[in-house]
Order: sequence, then C-alpha cells, then structure tokens
Amino acid sequence: MLIGVTALFLSSQAMAANEMPPAAALCGSCHGPTGMGIEPIAPRIAGLSSEYIAKQIHLFQQGDRQNPSMTPMAMTVQGEAINQVADYFAAQPVPAFIPVVRGSQTSYQSVAETLVYQGDWQRTLPACVSCHGPSGIGGGQFPRLAGQQASYLKTQLMAWQSGTRKGDIDNMMGNIASKLSQDEIAALADYFAKLK
Amino acid sequence: MTLSGLLFFALGNNVQAGDLPDKQAELKLAAPAPDADYLKMRSLATIPEGAFGEKVRLGYQLFVNTQQLRGQYVGNELNCVNCHMDAGRRANASPLWAAYLAYPAYRKKNDKVNSYQERIQGCFTYSMNGKAPESGSEPLVALSAYSYWLAMGGLMDKYGVTGAVPELSDADLLKGGKREDFVLPEAIAKAMTVDERAKLPGRGFPAIPKPEQAYSPARGERVYRAHCQSCHGENGEGLAMGGVYSLPPLWGPNSFNWGAGMHRVNTAANFIYENMPLGKSVQLSHQEAWDVAAFVVSHERPQDPRLEGDKVMELSKRYHQHQGYYGKSLGEGAVLGTQSYPINPAKQ
Repeated sequence: MLIGVTALFLSSQAMAANEMPPAAALCGSCHGPTGMGIEPIAPRIAGLSSEYIAKQIHLFQQGDRQNPSMTPMAMTVQGEAINQVADYFAAQPVPAFIPVVRGSQTSYQSVAETLVYQGDWQRTLPACVSCHGPSGIGGGQFPRLAGQQASYLKTQLMAWQSGTRKGDIDNMMGNIASKLSQDEIAALADYFAKLK
Repeated sequence: MTLSGLLFFALGNNVQAGDLPDKQAELKLAAPAPDADYLKMRSLATIPEGAFGEKVRLGYQLFVNTQQLRGQYVGNELNCVNCHMDAGRRANASPLWAAYLAYPAYRKKNDKVNSYQERIQGCFTYSMNGKAPESGSEPLVALSAYSYWLAMGGLMDKYGVTGAVPELSDADLLKGGKREDFVLPEAIAKAMTVDERAKLPGRGFPAIPKPEQAYSPARGERVYRAHCQSCHGENGEGLAMGGVYSLPPLWGPNSFNWGAGMHRVNTAANFIYENMPLGKSVQLSHQEAWDVAAFVVSHERPQDPRLEGDKVMELSKRYHQHQGYYGKSLGEGAVLGTQSYPINPAKQ
C-alpha cells in the first residue's frame, strides 16, 4: 500500500517534471535533453538534487565557479527559471544500481575504494561516502558522484585544489581536495565513473 | 511504588551525580598533548583469517553500519562511527582502543564493576536509543573483539612485539583490558601498569577550557547556521541518501536519547571542538564549541529510558545534575523531557 502510494506520487511528479521548461533547452544542447551529459563537453546533470543544481547556477553567476562556457550560459537562466531548470534535470532518471553500504567490506585492494569507504585519517581525510552517501549517490547539497564522467570529476577535484571552484560551507571540499595527490584524484574519478 | 521509585524515595535529594549508576558517566579527561604519542592502529587488512578474525571483522562492520541492528538493538538513525571517527581508531574521538583498556571500571560508591560489555550495552541503551543486546551475545562479542584487536595490535607495535594479536576467549573479550589477569606480551606488561594503560593519551574527547562567557544556545544557533546546518539540516534532522543517514541527526526522534553522554553540553563541546567539521576545514573557537553544543543539546530528543511514568523533574534531579537541559525550559518553551520521542521505535 505504502509503496503503491509512493510510486504514484513519484510518477505524477516525474510526469510534470518531464515536460522540459523552455529555459532548459539551452542547457540540454550541451548536457543532453535529459541531462545525461556529453563527455567531454558537459557533465551529467540528471539525478543531481534540485538544490545542488540551483546552487551551482548561482555560483557560476557569482564567479565562485569558473568555466568559460558555463559562466555565460548560467547568466541566461534567471529568476524562477533557475528552480524550473533545476527541478527538471533533478527528476531525470539515471541508471539504477544497488549502492555499496559502508562496512560491507573490512579492507579494500584499491587506493580509490579505501578513500571512498574509509578515508585516510592520518591526513584527516574522511571517507567520501560520509558526505556523498553510499556509493556516492549524493543528495542535498552533495552532488552525485556515481556514474559521473571521470574527466569531469578529475577537473573538478583539481579546480577545488586550485581554488577556481569555491562556494561550499567552510571550504570543506577545497580542504579535502587539497590533501589528495594527482594519482588519487585520477583513481577516484575512474572509480566513481564506473559506478552505474 | 516500584523498586526504583522506592530507591529514589530513600535516596531523596542528597544523591550526587557521582554516586549514580550512570552507564555513560564521564571518564576523567585530560587536555590533548600537542605531540602525544598516540597508539598507531594496524591496517584492517591485517585482521587474521579464522574464527577470531571473523569476530573482529564483524565488530568493525557493526561499528560503521550499526543500522544492521535497527529494529532489534538500535532505535535511531545513528551509527557508532558518527561519534567515534575513523571507525573508532582516531585519537581524541573516544577511540575504542583506549576505552577497551579502561574497562572493567570499578566504581567504589556503588561497589559495582562495569565490564566493557556493560559499557557497550550502555551505548545501545542511550546513544543508539535502542535496547541492549543480551550479555554475551554476538554483537557484544564482536564489538569487544574489534576493540581488543585494535588495542592489542597498537600496543604490540609500540613495544616491538611482532606477530598476530593473541586470541582471547569470548568471556575474556567481554571483560575489557583493565585487569591484573589480562594476558599481555611481557614487553607490554613491563612497560606500563594496568592504570597507565587505562589512561592512554587520546582517550575520550579531550576537555576544552571552560568558556569565557556562560554558554548560550542563542549564540550557538548562529554558529550552527553558519557551520553545521549545511550537513546536519535546518532542524538537526541529518541527511539520508538512498535510505542511509550519512549525515547524522543531532536531535529529534532519530538521534541519541536523553541518557546518552553526548547530551551533556561539556561532552558535546569537547567532541565538536576536536572533531567538527568533518575534515577540519575550519577550527571553531572554544566559545563557539560551547555555544553550539548548548544549542544542539537544548532540543527535544528521545526520552531517557530511566524515566518512571511522567516524573521528569524527579529524574532530572536524580540523573541530570550536570551541564544539560533535561528538566529545564528555554524561554517560553516546554520543559525538555516532557515531550520526548519514543525509545527504540520501529523505523518509519
């Protein structure tokens, strides 16, 4: 009964959100009409939370995130259209998979999995999943990492390191990224990209 | 009148907090030493194969995903690892290795010895707002085995004892390591007395200095909005992803109850100052840590399981003579404890 009601609610919500708002057409030209992304031009934005997408548009507009293409593009979306665009892409489906819950293994072979599920507390590096959720599926202000393009994840971690990406509370992500080596960044990007 | 009611009547108001059978009583704490020689933990990859290793592994798994026990022994959305960083391995985040060597703890006032297993039972009753697993049960053996393995491996490496951590029987694992008959390699036994082992640097959450101004939930709210809310939510509700609360609820129905040590302002302030925000991208001042701790613990949460009927004020006098808000009200608000949430509810 409960499941049925939830499913009904989701499907009616999805139907409404599936009608692309006019402001999203321009986004879709690079990110794809359902936001699945076109590597290496534009990352996947389907399945990110609406809250996160809206915030990123604001950050591009304010200059806290910098990208030669996105900065002018973000300016084209203003006012109520920001939330419409964010809701639309947030509601686009992404391939489902069963996320790995922390503690399902005690130790990991790879550098990436160790960082993802356990972190490295010698460097005060928390596990990625402690904020980004099981398998990095994301939620709230924390972007989904699972299934994201490796090239994008890599450039973003490097942007956090160099300070060309900012705008989170207390520079939490910048601080974490600054502790990662280039090899770790590459390994993490590959790991998350394969989760789909 | 119930037995505990009689007991309360007999003890009256002369009871002091130190006399009480508080399962989450404060350990004596020291300020952190800047270059303290904390025990270093072995890699979890070195947990041995075999039956003993399996207990250690299960202990780790229950510690980081305590929600496996939801509906049985766990009645909120927390996991042990939420307060004990790095799966109970990190110094100054109440590490398991230091706790293991601090029990059994003898309390002379009530002439009662609390074993390590009883300490963990207290965690389930209060911090996890659940029901304590039965003495000797699998979760308690596993959590004890994991704690012991961490402690003994760390001690062995520090004192140059090579090889695997010696196995212990379940009965011995459950007792804890603060006892004369605790079996130790000779090099470790010679290096430290039982009492020295029970007070390892890095134990507990180190005490921060008293605040310059009396702690204030109102000032703490500003700290919370600026630094904490983005992860823990506008109403302290935490954040779930895929049904898993990665960011823990700090108050309300899904958090620790009024009997948990973390509801004391000082305990929360010590924890927050040392461990928050996760990854330490910013350092709060001592005053900010006190204030935000006061804000967090001045909200309603699940009931103290020791409550008899509706005698919140009596319970407050008996068990809450410390820095906390149970039995008090803020401004025009209701008395905290009178509108508490259920103990060990089923998952919604």
